Amino acid sequence: MSTSLLVVDGVSKNFGEVDALSDVSIQLNRGEIVGLVGGNGAGKTTLLRLLCGVYRPSEGTVRFVDDGENRPVDEVRGRLGVVPESTGLYSRLTAWENIRYHTRIHGRDDEKSWARTVRFARALDIENELNRPTRGFSRGMRQKIALIRAIAHGPDLLLLDEPTAGLDVTSARKVRDLVRQLGNDGGTVIYSTHMLSEAQRICDRIIILHNGTVRADGSPGELLEKTSMDDLEDAYIALTGDVARSEPLDVESPISGFLARLFSRPNRVSKGVEEE
Amino acid sequence: MNRLRVVWTVTVKELLDFVRDWRTLAAMLLVPLILFPIIFVAVPWFLQGEAEELGGYTVEVKILIEQDIDVPLDFIHLLNSSNIIYQILDTSFDNNQSLANHSEILEDASFSIRNGELDAVIALRSGTGNASENWEYVIFSDSTDELSRESRSRLLTQIDIWEDGIIDETLLNNALERDDVYDPVTWDGAVEAADTATSGEQAAFAFALFVPFIISLWAATSAVQPSIDLTAGERERGTLEALLTTPIARSDLMWGKWLAVATIASASVLLQLVGLYVAIRYLAADILTPPSVSIMGWSLFVITILLFAIFVVAVEMAVAMRARSVKEAGSTLGPMVILFIGPALFAQFVNMESIESWWFIAPVFNICLGMRASLLGDVSVIHASLWMGSSLLYALMATTWASKQFNREDLVESIS
Repeated sequence: MSTSLLVVDGVSKNFGEVDALSDVSIQLNRGEIVGLVGGNGAGKTTLLRLLCGVYRPSEGTVRFVDDGENRPVDEVRGRLGVVPESTGLYSRLTAWENIRYHTRIHGRDDEKSWARTVRFARALDIENELNRPTRGFSRGMRQKIALIRAIAHGPDLLLLDEPTAGLDVTSARKVRDLVRQLGNDGGTVIYSTHMLSEAQRICDRIIILHNGTVRADGSPGELLEKTSMDDLEDAYIALTGDVARSEPLDVESPISGFLARLFSRPNRVSKGVEEE
Repeated sequence: MNRLRVVWTVTVKELLDFVRDWRTLAAMLLVPLILFPIIFVAVPWFLQGEAEELGGYTVEVKILIEQDIDVPLDFIHLLNSSNIIYQILDTSFDNNQSLANHSEILEDASFSIRNGELDAVIALRSGTGNASENWEYVIFSDSTDELSRESRSRLLTQIDIWEDGIIDETLLNNALERDDVYDPVTWDGAVEAADTATSGEQAAFAFALFVPFIISLWAATSAVQPSIDLTAGERERGTLEALLTTPIARSDLMWGKWLAVATIASASVLLQLVGLYVAIRYLAADILTPPSVSIMGWSLFVITILLFAIFVVAVEMAVAMRARSVKEAGSTLGPMVILFIGPALFAQFVNMESIESWWFIAPVFNICLGMRASLLGDVSVIHASLWMGSSLLYALMATTWASKQFNREDLVESIS
């Protein structure tokens, strides 16, 4: 029987006039790998930042269930592992020093952290790079180190924001295999991606976000069944009704466009948050 | 996990990151170390070298002498001994006008100097008076031309020597000694011997006039780059978001970073003091007397600097944290440093005698005056309490404000 780990209840998040998320309610069970799928600007990154406490909800609550008790994010952040949109590695530090910095903040012993790091680095075929400064690392190598950094302290819940973005086929597969392995070992993962095929391959459940709202939540089979489609991509289109791309763009003259850019001041907090 | 350990973890990481960047390391540690040796040793040495180089040049001068009069031989001998090439031209002067008012001569001299034909022109005619000889002269030169300025300087020097000879001869003719005329009221003995301040105290007084300014200037500027790098820089590079997802409290993050920047800025300032010590003790020992400052004075001096560093670092980190990018932080903090430098500059000229107590609570003034008082050994308990207490208060206010900036939700946002 699955037990609840995370409850998001009626969460909305706005930045000034911009509604990034509206009334999002989801529940996450222990041992699940949940895909968070949505297009650019859907609200995936905002939701992940809310889940790990970087943002606070404008409305609603995010609660972690621990021994039957609800706890706010700040109390359990040590049990989260996060790979943010930007890998966030310090270029003058070695890969291991980057990882160690986080494990120390999590209060972990260096020796044990090193042992875990080596194990994961071996799985990702990057153990020879651990003592090199990360300056000059490829996007794939950085992504792998960020993933190891997120799991080296042994989190209960892993939040991954497009962890395979920019990776070659082989590296992406290694990352997916490792995530799958973590899931098989009882870990809980939220895996944000805009690639349906990837979500279908490794996730037990898929949550489709569109324009800041949850449009669907279920296993890949349930989504197909719900939409009576044979293909998950068709199901996604049917669920989101994403016609934005077919709408005509506002045409502005070069001069008015230039003046608008010159005199516009971006919001201090833009919606701010979204994927490329 | 123990909060202190978390803070220390952040500090250690930031310092490790800092020492790995040799450019920053050189700018923050090497430059302050050699700054005072450069000021006290290299600059005088360089200026002396330049002056000697200029003195080695031969300059060309035209002497315009009143018709039917010879240029005095004594003056000619002096010119010959000072690397001056001259040509003599008999000239008619208007006796109703001063030599300086001969516009034609001025124009000719200007033309010749600008063309590089001559470096200076001296007009010389006999004067009236009761000395053994009386002369009038004027030197036409270009004050913006180095060789012309040098020519003028050499001519004036030789004229002084020549004039001394005439004075001595005149006095001799009248059976007088030089002191009878120029120094009938005489200071008896060495002037320095009558100063009740020791040479060390005099040195401390001189140091107190400029050292606080230089040190506060350096403390304010040295914290700018690391403050930006550890806040706006981390934000821009995207490393901050990963850090904020860890269980670290934002206030602990701020304290860890603050401690790192304060360490860097303090190390930078202390190295500057080491450089100052080496300069006055060893490198320029023959021209500078080491200042005589008590251990208590030095202790107060160092504590005051550290309090200032705490205050400055917190303010600069808070401002940098508010910025959306490194560029914005730089554009804000650059001009803002003037807010520290301005008072530090004025504080050099504040009269310490019967100084009003409120000076010792005015931001930045309090630090600079505290440093001056420490160096001068003129510390009253009330003043020390005021400048230390107010510095501590400002430091606390600044760190509280910085802490607030670190708690802003928009620390993580789209950079694009």
